[in-house]
Amino acid sequence: MFKIDKAIPMMGMGGGMGGGGMGGGACYVYPDAPATPGLVTPDVTFNRGIYMNGSITMDDGAQIRIWGFTDGGGMGMGMGGPFPSPAIRVREGQIVHTNLTVQGNMWLHTIHHHGIEPSTENDGVGHYSFDVNGTYTYQWKAAHAGTYFYHCHTNTVLHAEMGMYGALIIDPPEGPGTLYSGGPAYDLEVVWAADEIDSSWHTLDWDAGTCGQDVGLHRLNPDYFIITGVDGARSALTAPGVAVNMQVGQRLLVRYICAGYLAQRITFGGLTATVHMSDGRPLPNPVEVTAIDAVSAERYDCIITPTEAGVHDVVIEFFDQITNQVIGTARTRITVE
Amino acid sequence: MKRRDFLKIGSAGLAGSLLGGAGLLSWTPRASAATIDRSFYVTEGTITQPDGSDVYFRGFSASGTGLNVPGSSLVVQEGDTLRITVINTLDVDTSFVIDGLVDSGPIGPGQTRTVEFTVDQAGSYLYHDGLNAPYNRLLGLHGGLAVMPAGSSNELYPGSPTFVQQYLWLINEVDPVWHADLARRRNPTTAFEPRYFTINGRSMRVPGHPDYANPAVDAGYATDTRLVGSLGDRTLVRILNAGLCIHSVHFHANHVEWLATNGQPRPDVWLKDSLRLPADKGGIDVIYPFEAPPDAWPPVSTGHYPMHFHDEMTQTAGGGLYQFGIATTISFE
Repeated sequence: MFKIDKAIPMMGMGGGMGGGGMGGGACYVYPDAPATPGLVTPDVTFNRGIYMNGSITMDDGAQIRIWGFTDGGGMGMGMGGPFPSPAIRVREGQIVHTNLTVQGNMWLHTIHHHGIEPSTENDGVGHYSFDVNGTYTYQWKAAHAGTYFYHCHTNTVLHAEMGMYGALIIDPPEGPGTLYSGGPAYDLEVVWAADEIDSSWHTLDWDAGTCGQDVGLHRLNPDYFIITGVDGARSALTAPGVAVNMQVGQRLLVRYICAGYLAQRITFGGLTATVHMSDGRPLPNPVEVTAIDAVSAERYDCIITPTEAGVHDVVIEFFDQITNQVIGTARTRITVE
Repeated sequence: MKRRDFLKIGSAGLAGSLLGGAGLLSWTPRASAATIDRSFYVTEGTITQPDGSDVYFRGFSASGTGLNVPGSSLVVQEGDTLRITVINTLDVDTSFVIDGLVDSGPIGPGQTRTVEFTVDQAGSYLYHDGLNAPYNRLLGLHGGLAVMPAGSSNELYPGSPTFVQQYLWLINEVDPVWHADLARRRNPTTAFEPRYFTINGRSMRVPGHPDYANPAVDAGYATDTRLVGSLGDRTLVRILNAGLCIHSVHFHANHVEWLATNGQPRPDVWLKDSLRLPADKGGIDVIYPFEAPPDAWPPVSTGHYPMHFHDEMTQTAGGGLYQFGIATTISFE
């Protein structure tokens, strides 16, 4: 059995990227890249590298620094990368390899497949196993169809906020088009990963605060609100892949991921949604809703079947952690023809 | 208040602890109702936070010379009468309140008061000081009460899914500026800005830290927070929020069965890996099933995993120190 007590922390690791202005270097990190226990030939493989120099442009023209995972395992130096990170999509029953390559002399990261429940070594939590230094193969078997996401679990408070997450979808064995075996069918789908950004955090180094510096990570004061990587102020209303165009009679599957830290409420612009799953598990009885209250990392899978043409603005409200007041909104749109 | 009188609680261990030596809530059902006597001394002191700061707290303590934050958990059964005696050792008023069940009213400096009440409804309850709300409660004057169904040893409410062991987690957020103001007997004037985040009064430590694995300090090893089980050891966790923030409770390795929120049984039991913990005295009750982690390949039956809150600001201490916050360990043994 893997013993966390044998993990060797690297205190005061020579700060990647010079430790930046924080001047501390990294503490309580556990660089390693052991052999994967019980490695077998997988049914499907994903290769993920790291980019630390991405950016997105907000509707007000601001450029926000973004970190994430690249597809293919290469290093996105100078290239940035997709945001959110490229989706991982597999079928129930498959054995999956997620190969993560990290330039451990510069920074450390992991992949935690959120909602996936593998062995300790493959759970991707630095403090409980190791932070990847080199290449590690996360091996897991997709037991339950549904909507998940994956994110970095090193200095998580910062790394997930910086954008290091992507969708993770497990289709039933019969493939896309059915939410889960015996569950509802759908004609089209969309992933809405709703998140907030505190741009003041987006200048920090990967190891910020780990040695005890006060870098303000106890308080999130977001100034931007996004849906699947797109500014929810205006752009998400029309952005391809976020906004939905559909026909009367079609069944839309919304895979809603509360990808930020704040509590959210999503309303579907007057449409009724039927929630069939949450957190990758079918509900015993689906529920009909016009709004969903969610907290960080929850997922809700909803089927919407409009009965007439119309334009519906979907609104996601974000609630301040302290005051519980709405401090921001993000909007996208369902257009039914 | 004399600062030298403060009890300081740090790595030396919890003085006057009334944990009974066991982390689990232990319970043997009785054939008939009983009267349960318990005394709490309202005391004050400081507790050392992960960044080394000593922060002022008050507690419902087991003795006049100790400091328990939170107060020790009570486990009783439906129909029992509770007789709670509160001895106020401080120079400010205090009270003992369970919303909907009992309110002692103000207990003045140096006063002792006994309240008596009967519990009729199984579930999880927060006891707290209701005065100067929410300040006295946030200072640490809170604890948990578990009311078992009459004659039952393994249900949250009559007919609920069953468990074999149970824990009670009390969540709090700590703004040291507020605590310092209240130590000086004045109410805060600043916006709430918690910098420490606790589960049963402690934050987590991580490997490499001097207090890592010290059960008196490390929430990952404290016997009243760390979930320990073997396959099949279905574990009820009663989670009560003394703080002011909505939280997301995230379990690794197993989905939990979501049985109740704010004392209300859910119409259906949903399986969840992330759950809303309502703010301001809210609570949820879940069963962690200790099933073999379903996505492991090859299959495993042992391992160490975190339970942590996913509103990740709660994973910090003093503005940094990631994962020195509201987290504990789930140990499959």
